[in-house]
Amino acid sequence: MQGFINTEQQLLVSLASCNRRVASQLYQQNYPIVKGWLGKNGGSESDAADLFQEAMVVLFAKAQDTDFRLTCSISTYLMAISKHLWYKKLQKQSRDPVFLKENIGTDEDEGSIGYEDEVKVHEEREMHYEMLNAALEQVGEPCRSLLKAFYHNDKSMQEITAAFGYTNSDNAKTQKYKCLTRLRKIFYGMAGN
Amino acid sequence: MSINNNIWEIAEAFVAGTLSETDLKELNSRLASDKEFAAEFYESTNLLKSMEGNGKQKRFRNLLTEIHESEIINPKARAGRRIELPAHFWRTAAVAAGVALLTSTITYTILNPSIKKNDYQYVTISREVAGLRESQKQLNQNQKKLETDIKKINQPPAAHVRFTGTGFAINNEGYFVTSNHVVEGADSIYIQDRNGEYFKANKLAFDAESDLAVLKIARKSFHFGKGDVPYTFATGKSGLGTNIFTLGYPKNDLFYSSGAISSSNGFDGNELQYTLELPVGHGQSGSPVLDEKGNVIGILTAMGGDAEANTYAVSSQALISLIHDQLSDSPIRINKTNKLHGLSREQQIEKMQAFTFSVKVYKK
Repeated sequence: MQGFINTEQQLLVSLASCNRRVASQLYQQNYPIVKGWLGKNGGSESDAADLFQEAMVVLFAKAQDTDFRLTCSISTYLMAISKHLWYKKLQKQSRDPVFLKENIGTDEDEGSIGYEDEVKVHEEREMHYEMLNAALEQVGEPCRSLLKAFYHNDKSMQEITAAFGYTNSDNAKTQKYKCLTRLRKIFYGMAGN
Repeated sequence: MSINNNIWEIAEAFVAGTLSETDLKELNSRLASDKEFAAEFYESTNLLKSMEGNGKQKRFRNLLTEIHESEIINPKARAGRRIELPAHFWRTAAVAAGVALLTSTITYTILNPSIKKNDYQYVTISREVAGLRESQKQLNQNQKKLETDIKKINQPPAAHVRFTGTGFAINNEGYFVTSNHVVEGADSIYIQDRNGEYFKANKLAFDAESDLAVLKIARKSFHFGKGDVPYTFATGKSGLGTNIFTLGYPKNDLFYSSGAISSSNGFDGNELQYTLELPVGHGQSGSPVLDEKGNVIGILTAMGGDAEANTYAVSSQALISLIHDQLSDSPIRINKTNKLHGLSREQQIEKMQAFTFSVKVYKK
């Protein structure tokens, strides 16, 4: 039993650092199950792909916290999160959330305590990132490309110095800080509204 | 650093957790006293954390999308691209059914069992998924069947572990040499040639002291390549500073590295050996070490675990003595015609490829 827990814990640690092999393994093991369940609950294949990606992102975000411990297996967790996300989505699409909740939302919940909160946190985080992306679109060039290169594409300052034609990496860094200041003004200006 | 520096520099260091204690103290006192600075600082650190988190999540989403496309939507294409090694692995698995692997010195590759298992698992799964898609077509809405198939997918395959070294031909009649520690205690030994084909081999002679083993491919009238081996074997010891190179299989692909003889004796003054300045990895035990003219001067045996990271090779003389001493009843022909002399390194490597191979060892 101990070994099992350790293994799952190791998987989470690797997943947190975007390890392809681990992500692929979890995908192979769990996607078919989520897809199978969704098929019975009125979702298409492309719904399944979107839904499973969201569930994986929830797990990924949780795994960033090194103190995070799952109280169930990764598979159970992914399935439970998928279900919650799907119910939420159906609720949103419908004008009568109560009706749907009663009809679809109550079957075989696997100890769902806490999962609703996690889905909520996930939604809030997604909204926050959406706003951040919107701010980033307004920041203008070359700032937008520079910040995207550094934060989204994980480029080093050396690579950015070369790609953007700065004379040295100190100049690139100064430029990055200027861009961050502009972004901060736009972002918190938006948030204030 | 000082908190008078650019606020972003401080915020970055703060988020990364690299501020010194003194800096942290200074920062905290300024945060407490300077409201305007504090507000700006918190906005800055929050923005940095959000940018980093958002970026990392984006990369993760890209990764998932890529996995979905390559392994779920189009598993056949992916399986096709990667089929080479797993197909061979299947063959080994069949050949050595129920047989697990060997042995325990540090000098050969322990192909990471978890990684191997995943590769193996991957192929099984993509085949199952392909089968599933077909059954979906045929049976259309038979959900029950689908579910059984899905259960099947999740069954993990039996674990396999294997240890490998490198071997190279003594002549073209199926005789080859590798490190004794690679094949010690083996139940079965196979070589895998560069086309991925497996051939069973039997041990003819070995010497634990020099760490050499001579083997022969079991199949009758087997040949490694079209012509004879292109290299010759040095009968004397080569001098300090001689430029050398080696070819071996640390993993699944042939690996080349070059260096020089740094001492004419080996580990702890061992006269059978050379000390080399040559970068090598686990799995390359048994690889040939050649001088620039194409003479085999030694066989890789070990690398030092110390900071100098020396590499050790058994001299070719030890191999010749082993053949003379132990196999005098049925003498093994040692090639005397060198076909590598004067060629470019690329040409030398090209000519050697058929005669250098991975050695895989199984033990119950």
